Amino acid sequence: MNNQNQILGVFDDPDEVTAAVKELLRNDVQVQDVFSPFPIEHVWELLKLKTRIPYATFLYGVIGTAGTFGFLYWTSVINYPLIFGGKPTNSLSFIVIMFVLTILSGVIFTLATYLIREKMWPGKKASMPDTRSMDDKFVIVIDKHKNMDDDAILKINELLKKNGAVEVNMNNV
Amino acid sequence: MYNIKARGVLIEGNKRYHDITRDVTNPLLSKTTPTWWWIAAFISSAMLVWGIWGFYNTIVVGTGTWGLNNSVSWGWAIINFVWWIGIGHAGTAFSIFLLVLHQKWRTSINRAAEAMTIFAVMAAGMFPLIHMGRIWDGFFVFPYPNTRGPLWDNFNSPLFWDVMAISTYLTASFLFWYVGMMPDFASIRERTVSKIKKRIYGILSFGWLGSARGWLRFESAALLMGGLTAPLVVSVHSIVAMDFAAGVVPGWHSTIFPPFFVVGAIFSGFAMVLTMMIIVRKVYKYEEYVTQRHLDAIARVLTFVSLIMGVAYISEIFVAWYSDSPYEMFVFFKNRAVGEYSFEFWAMIIFNAIVPQLFWFKKIRKNITIVFIISILINIGMWYERFVIVITSLSKTWLPSTWHGYSPTITEIAIYVGTIGFFVFGILLFLRFLPMMASSELKGILKETSIVTENTENHE
Repeated sequence: MNNQNQILGVFDDPDEVTAAVKELLRNDVQVQDVFSPFPIEHVWELLKLKTRIPYATFLYGVIGTAGTFGFLYWTSVINYPLIFGGKPTNSLSFIVIMFVLTILSGVIFTLATYLIREKMWPGKKASMPDTRSMDDKFVIVIDKHKNMDDDAILKINELLKKNGAVEVNMNNV
Repeated sequence: MYNIKARGVLIEGNKRYHDITRDVTNPLLSKTTPTWWWIAAFISSAMLVWGIWGFYNTIVVGTGTWGLNNSVSWGWAIINFVWWIGIGHAGTAFSIFLLVLHQKWRTSINRAAEAMTIFAVMAAGMFPLIHMGRIWDGFFVFPYPNTRGPLWDNFNSPLFWDVMAISTYLTASFLFWYVGMMPDFASIRERTVSKIKKRIYGILSFGWLGSARGWLRFESAALLMGGLTAPLVVSVHSIVAMDFAAGVVPGWHSTIFPPFFVVGAIFSGFAMVLTMMIIVRKVYKYEEYVTQRHLDAIARVLTFVSLIMGVAYISEIFVAWYSDSPYEMFVFFKNRAVGEYSFEFWAMIIFNAIVPQLFWFKKIRKNITIVFIISILINIGMWYERFVIVITSLSKTWLPSTWHGYSPTITEIAIYVGTIGFFVFGILLFLRFLPMMASSELKGILKETSIVTENTENHE
């Protein structure tokens, strides 16, 4: 991600970041990413970011429910039908285990999906444009294209400064 | 929207974002471990060692080392199991219910409450394990293809549901807790100067970056995991309650048990959170994060839940009378109220239903010492509740010829003390090595709830 040149606008305040992103987009500047110490929901809306994780979770839940019922039905009705207390082998109380395992499969696979989509694993090297965004700074990252001339860069600089950036840095990684 | 003028600032001391990072990570980054930590670690590990002795004794000799008999076949082990599971409900109840309800005051407490959940549930899980007597055959509880038929588990048994519910609860709570800590690990990774710490917290952080897309997915995944885990709070203790309610023992065979147990679990969990946070805010000087207002909110929740407990006790007694069953009437009016365990019964009523009502008075809610004492009394009261349920009912059931008393042996006491040691030691490790507050969540609410500016009114 960082093998290109980038322009970094460093901000102190979450609301200023939102305003700046809005202003940059209005001036047709492509905002690549925003790094922040905590989630800023307005930025997601402005950058039109969406996630399909909830749909995946629903699917995992369905699979968990169906899979558990299948297993219980197979063990208790087909494989070894054993009568407990005169109750039917295909019992309504399967619901309890189905409920619990639906949740378990939902939780585990949602986490797995999240980690896979984010390409995160233990020990992954994190290359951040500005490490202060883990602390108290908010960083807007703008790609510097090859065909971007000095005027355009200057314009972006001014836009960032005007909207409250405390620093504008160039990243040459 | 949070109204600062009406509700006051949530994080005191006019903090800025950097102050939060500093305050949360400094205890972890400091090279010196405070003296009180060593003293507490020494005492709790000594307790743990004694518990391990009790554990060893039970495994080598058998459950004959306990005070159980043919009538009272569930003793301290089950009392403590239910007690710990109850405490283990705090984290998830706290963190997830309040997350779903968008309660902003949860942010300084949720992480510690979740850690409590993990260690309390682990402590609870030990009891059924050793109660089996032959712990090496413990894998029999899992449904796996075997040479006995294959004979599967009884999937209609609350005892089997318990195994599934508790292991799921532990797994889900742990994953939720861990995911929440990843951003904090990352901020420690970037802040520390020690190479070893940078490496360890780097591994733990999974390469967290904090990009816009990363946060979006993080928030989505965390909310889903939390939302899915929330019903578990209800199901785990309902199932524990069904362990009792499915048995035809006077005083147990009651439909009120599942909701009664769930409420009791949340009650004892919140009380334990209160106990712990009062100590933590004192020793770590976190009074600006865990303010009087936070403790006040927990106390109010406790007042309300205590009322529900009181209603549950009264309705149990009422139903016993209304059922006109001589056995039920005997349990509540003779065995419990004036029998040989009446002290425990009245302690339960007073500590759980009456003492917390003192929280109606603002003066009492403001006095941290009294709040602390009441929170401890609730923990004791909830232990007595489980004692009353397990022991009074079992010691005098249908046949007077089977009536038998019960008192714990030194082995049972050792195991109980050992689990307390385990819990305290686990919390101490958590406080020393893991971020005990969710700094990203604190930062997220800071501007809205805690920074007073000239145009604060606009926040209304």
